[in-house]
Amino acid sequence: MGKCNIQNNIRRLRFNADEMTQKQLADQVGASRQTIVAIEKGHYSPSLELAFRIAHVFNTTLEEVFSYDFGKD
Amino acid sequence: MTLCIIYLSLRKLFITLSKLIYTLKTIIMSYREKENIINIFSALLITGIYSWIIYQKQLAGSIDLTDDFQKWGIVFLIYAGVSIIARIIIYIIFSIINTIATREEKIPDEDERDKLIKLKATRNSSYTFSIGFFMSILALAIGMASYWLFILFVISGVIAELIDNGSQIYYYRKGV
Repeated sequence: MGKCNIQNNIRRLRFNADEMTQKQLADQVGASRQTIVAIEKGHYSPSLELAFRIAHVFNTTLEEVFSYDFGKD
Repeated sequence: MTLCIIYLSLRKLFITLSKLIYTLKTIIMSYREKENIINIFSALLITGIYSWIIYQKQLAGSIDLTDDFQKWGIVFLIYAGVSIIARIIIYIIFSIINTIATREEKIPDEDERDKLIKLKATRNSSYTFSIGFFMSILALAIGMASYWLFILFVISGVIAELIDNGSQIYYYRKGV
Protein backbone atom coordinates (compact mmCIF):
# COMPACT_ATOMS: atom_id res chain seq x y z
CA MET A 1 0.00 0.00 0.00
CA GLY A 2 1.04 3.62 -0.22
CA LYS A 3 3.86 4.80 -2.48
CA CYS A 4 4.60 2.77 -5.61
CA ASN A 5 7.75 2.52 -7.72
CA ILE A 6 6.22 4.29 -10.69
CA GLN A 7 7.08 7.98 -10.90
CA ASN A 8 5.20 10.43 -13.10
CA ASN A 9 5.43 13.90 -14.56
CA ILE A 10 1.69 14.50 -14.90
CA ARG A 11 1.72 17.62 -12.76
CA ARG A 12 4.45 19.24 -14.87
CA LEU A 13 2.81 18.15 -18.12
CA ARG A 14 -0.53 19.58 -17.00
CA PHE A 15 1.14 22.86 -16.14
CA ASN A 16 2.77 22.98 -19.58
CA ALA A 17 -0.55 22.20 -21.26
CA ASP A 18 -2.06 25.61 -20.44
CA GLU A 19 -2.43 24.67 -16.76
CA MET A 20 -4.87 21.90 -17.50
CA THR A 21 -6.92 20.99 -14.44
CA GLN A 22 -7.09 17.49 -12.98
CA LYS A 23 -10.79 17.41 -13.84
CA GLN A 24 -10.11 18.25 -17.49
CA LEU A 25 -7.48 15.51 -17.74
CA ALA A 26 -9.79 13.05 -15.97
CA ASP A 27 -12.60 13.78 -18.44
CA GLN A 28 -10.30 13.35 -21.42
CA VAL A 29 -8.91 9.99 -20.30
CA GLY A 30 -12.20 8.65 -18.96
CA ALA A 31 -11.23 8.42 -15.30
CA SER A 32 -12.34 10.21 -12.15
CA ARG A 33 -10.53 13.26 -10.76
CA GLN A 34 -9.73 11.23 -7.63
CA THR A 35 -7.90 8.68 -9.78
CA ILE A 36 -5.78 11.41 -11.37
CA VAL A 37 -5.02 12.80 -7.89
CA ALA A 38 -4.00 9.31 -6.70
CA ILE A 39 -1.76 8.76 -9.77
CA GLU A 40 -0.07 12.16 -9.32
CA LYS A 41 0.58 11.47 -5.65
CA GLY A 42 1.99 8.02 -6.48
CA HIS A 43 -0.78 6.24 -4.57
CA TYR A 44 -2.01 4.33 -7.61
CA SER A 45 -0.31 2.73 -10.60
CA PRO A 46 -2.60 3.10 -13.60
CA SER A 47 -3.27 0.31 -16.07
CA LEU A 48 -1.28 0.31 -19.28
CA GLU A 49 -4.37 1.47 -21.17
CA LEU A 50 -4.94 4.48 -18.92
CA ALA A 51 -1.22 5.30 -19.02
CA PHE A 52 -1.30 5.35 -22.83
CA ARG A 53 -4.42 7.53 -22.80
CA ILE A 54 -2.73 10.04 -20.48
CA ALA A 55 0.34 10.12 -22.73
CA HIS A 56 -1.92 10.61 -25.74
CA VAL A 57 -3.64 13.62 -24.14
CA PHE A 58 -0.24 15.30 -23.70
CA ASN A 59 0.79 14.19 -27.18
CA THR A 60 3.92 12.56 -25.84
CA THR A 61 5.45 9.14 -25.21
CA LEU A 62 4.75 6.88 -22.26
CA GLU A 63 8.35 7.25 -21.01
CA GLU A 64 7.94 11.01 -20.90
CA VAL A 65 4.97 10.65 -18.54
CA PHE A 66 5.91 7.61 -16.46
CA SER A 67 9.18 6.12 -15.31
CA TYR A 68 10.08 3.20 -13.05
CA ASP A 69 12.28 3.76 -10.00
CA PHE A 70 14.41 0.59 -9.78
CA GLY A 71 16.22 2.05 -6.76
CA LYS A 72 13.17 1.29 -4.58
CA ASP A 73 13.31 -2.47 -5.36
CA MET B 1 -50.99 5.88 14.24
CA THR B 2 -48.72 3.58 12.19
CA LEU B 3 -48.43 6.21 9.45
CA CYS B 4 -47.52 8.78 12.08
CA ILE B 5 -44.73 6.52 13.42
CA ILE B 6 -43.44 5.89 9.88
CA TYR B 7 -43.52 9.64 9.14
CA LEU B 8 -41.66 10.47 12.36
CA SER B 9 -39.08 7.71 11.74
CA LEU B 10 -38.45 8.90 8.18
CA ARG B 11 -38.20 12.51 9.38
CA LYS B 12 -35.69 11.51 12.06
CA LEU B 13 -33.73 9.46 9.49
CA PHE B 14 -33.68 12.42 7.09
CA ILE B 15 -32.40 14.78 9.81
CA THR B 16 -29.74 12.27 10.96
CA LEU B 17 -28.57 11.71 7.37
CA SER B 18 -28.45 15.47 6.74
CA LYS B 19 -26.26 15.96 9.81
CA LEU B 20 -24.04 13.02 8.79
CA ILE B 21 -23.61 14.32 5.23
CA TYR B 22 -22.92 17.86 6.50
CA THR B 23 -20.17 16.43 8.75
CA LEU B 24 -18.78 14.38 5.85
CA LYS B 25 -18.83 17.46 3.62
CA THR B 26 -16.64 19.38 6.05
CA ILE B 27 -14.03 16.54 6.01
CA ILE B 28 -13.87 16.66 2.15
CA MET B 29 -14.66 13.22 0.84
CA SER B 30 -15.30 11.79 -2.56
CA TYR B 31 -18.71 10.44 -3.54
CA ARG B 32 -17.49 6.86 -3.16
CA GLU B 33 -16.19 7.42 0.37
CA LYS B 34 -19.47 9.02 1.42
CA GLU B 35 -21.35 6.13 -0.18
CA ASN B 36 -19.32 3.64 1.86
CA ILE B 37 -19.94 5.51 5.10
CA ILE B 38 -23.66 5.53 4.36
CA ASN B 39 -23.48 1.76 3.69
CA ILE B 40 -21.78 1.18 7.06
CA PHE B 41 -24.36 3.40 8.75
CA SER B 42 -27.30 1.59 7.11
CA ALA B 43 -25.86 -1.90 7.79
CA LEU B 44 -25.52 -1.11 11.50
CA LEU B 45 -28.87 0.66 11.70
CA ILE B 46 -30.96 -1.93 9.85
CA THR B 47 -29.35 -4.99 11.47
CA GLY B 48 -29.39 -3.35 14.90
CA ILE B 49 -33.08 -2.42 14.77
CA TYR B 50 -34.17 -5.72 13.22
CA SER B 51 -32.16 -7.80 15.70
CA TRP B 52 -33.58 -5.78 18.59
CA ILE B 53 -37.17 -6.33 17.35
CA ILE B 54 -36.58 -10.09 16.96
CA TYR B 55 -34.92 -10.28 20.38
CA GLN B 56 -37.87 -8.49 21.99
CA LYS B 57 -40.28 -10.90 20.26
CA GLN B 58 -38.22 -13.83 21.54
CA LEU B 59 -38.31 -12.42 25.09
CA ALA B 60 -42.05 -11.81 24.85
CA GLY B 61 -42.54 -15.39 23.69
CA SER B 62 -44.28 -14.54 20.42
CA ILE B 63 -41.62 -16.50 18.52
CA ASP B 64 -39.30 -19.27 19.63
CA LEU B 65 -35.98 -19.38 17.83
CA THR B 66 -34.16 -21.78 20.12
CA ASP B 67 -34.71 -24.88 17.98
CA ASP B 68 -37.06 -23.91 15.16
CA PHE B 69 -35.00 -23.80 11.95
CA GLN B 70 -38.06 -22.89 9.86
CA LYS B 71 -38.59 -19.74 11.96
CA TRP B 72 -34.95 -18.81 11.44
CA GLY B 73 -35.46 -19.20 7.70
CA ILE B 74 -38.47 -16.88 7.82
CA VAL B 75 -36.59 -14.37 10.00
CA PHE B 76 -33.68 -14.34 7.52
CA LEU B 77 -35.95 -13.95 4.48
CA ILE B 78 -37.86 -11.06 6.07
CA TYR B 79 -34.52 -9.50 7.05
CA ALA B 80 -33.32 -9.74 3.44
CA GLY B 81 -36.48 -8.03 2.17
CA VAL B 82 -36.52 -5.34 4.87
CA SER B 83 -32.80 -4.72 4.38
CA ILE B 84 -33.14 -4.23 0.60
CA ILE B 85 -36.11 -1.85 0.93
CA ALA B 86 -34.51 0.14 3.78
CA ARG B 87 -31.22 0.43 1.87
CA ILE B 88 -33.00 1.70 -1.23
CA ILE B 89 -34.81 4.34 0.87
CA ILE B 90 -31.57 5.36 2.65
CA TYR B 91 -29.71 5.51 -0.69
CA ILE B 92 -32.40 7.70 -2.28
CA ILE B 93 -32.34 10.07 0.72
CA PHE B 94 -28.51 10.13 0.59
CA SER B 95 -28.53 10.91 -3.15
CA ILE B 96 -31.04 13.75 -2.68
CA ILE B 97 -29.12 15.32 0.21
CA ASN B 98 -25.78 14.86 -1.55
CA THR B 99 -27.09 16.49 -4.73
CA ILE B 100 -28.44 19.44 -2.73
CA ALA B 101 -25.23 19.77 -0.72
CA THR B 102 -22.68 19.39 -3.52
CA ARG B 103 -24.81 20.58 -6.49
CA GLU B 104 -23.45 17.66 -8.50
CA GLU B 105 -26.36 16.02 -10.27
CA LYS B 106 -24.43 13.26 -12.02
CA ILE B 107 -23.19 10.28 -10.03
CA PRO B 108 -19.54 9.75 -11.02
CA ASP B 109 -18.92 6.75 -13.26
CA GLU B 110 -16.87 3.86 -11.95
CA ASP B 111 -13.36 3.82 -13.38
CA GLU B 112 -10.61 1.17 -13.20
CA ARG B 113 -9.39 2.31 -9.76
CA ASP B 114 -12.92 2.11 -8.32
CA LYS B 115 -13.30 -1.40 -9.72
CA LEU B 116 -9.92 -2.51 -8.34
CA ILE B 117 -10.76 -1.11 -4.89
CA LYS B 118 -14.15 -2.82 -4.95
CA LEU B 119 -12.53 -6.13 -5.91
CA LYS B 120 -9.97 -5.95 -3.10
CA ALA B 121 -12.67 -4.97 -0.60
CA THR B 122 -14.84 -7.91 -1.73
CA ARG B 123 -11.86 -10.22 -1.25
CA ASN B 124 -11.38 -8.94 2.32
CA SER B 125 -15.08 -9.29 3.17
CA SER B 126 -15.19 -12.81 1.68
CA TYR B 127 -12.28 -13.88 3.90
CA THR B 128 -14.07 -12.37 6.90
CA PHE B 129 -17.33 -14.14 6.14
CA SER B 130 -15.47 -17.41 5.53
CA ILE B 131 -13.93 -17.15 9.00
CA GLY B 132 -17.39 -16.43 10.44
CA PHE B 133 -18.83 -19.43 8.60
CA PHE B 134 -16.03 -21.66 9.91
CA MET B 135 -16.62 -20.38 13.47
CA SER B 136 -20.34 -21.11 13.27
CA ILE B 137 -19.62 -24.67 12.12
CA LEU B 138 -17.07 -24.94 14.93
CA ALA B 139 -19.74 -23.74 17.37
CA LEU B 140 -21.95 -26.64 16.28
CA ALA B 141 -19.05 -29.09 16.49
CA ILE B 142 -18.22 -28.19 20.08
CA GLY B 143 -21.83 -28.69 21.10
CA MET B 144 -23.15 -25.15 21.35
CA ALA B 145 -26.88 -24.60 20.82
CA SER B 146 -27.98 -24.70 17.17
CA TYR B 147 -29.23 -21.09 17.21
CA TRP B 148 -25.60 -19.96 17.58
CA LEU B 149 -25.09 -21.02 13.97
CA PHE B 150 -27.54 -18.34 12.82
CA ILE B 151 -26.40 -15.71 15.33
CA LEU B 152 -22.81 -16.17 14.16
CA PHE B 153 -23.99 -15.96 10.53
CA VAL B 154 -25.58 -12.58 11.23
CA ILE B 155 -22.58 -11.30 13.18
CA SER B 156 -20.08 -12.42 10.53
CA GLY B 157 -22.31 -10.98 7.78
CA VAL B 158 -22.37 -7.58 9.45
CA ILE B 159 -18.62 -7.65 10.17
CA ALA B 160 -17.96 -8.69 6.55
CA GLU B 161 -20.02 -5.73 5.35
CA LEU B 162 -18.13 -3.38 7.67
CA ILE B 163 -14.79 -4.81 6.44
CA ASP B 164 -15.96 -4.39 2.82
CA ASN B 165 -16.89 -0.72 3.19
CA GLY B 166 -14.11 0.01 5.69
CA SER B 167 -11.43 -1.38 3.37
CA GLN B 168 -12.84 0.62 0.45
CA ILE B 169 -12.51 3.81 2.52
CA TYR B 170 -8.99 2.73 3.56
CA TYR B 171 -7.91 2.06 -0.06
CA TYR B 172 -9.40 5.36 -1.23
CA ARG B 173 -7.51 7.21 1.48
CA LYS B 174 -4.18 5.34 1.56
CA GLY B 175 -3.94 4.17 -2.04
CA VAL B 176 -4.23 0.82 -3.72
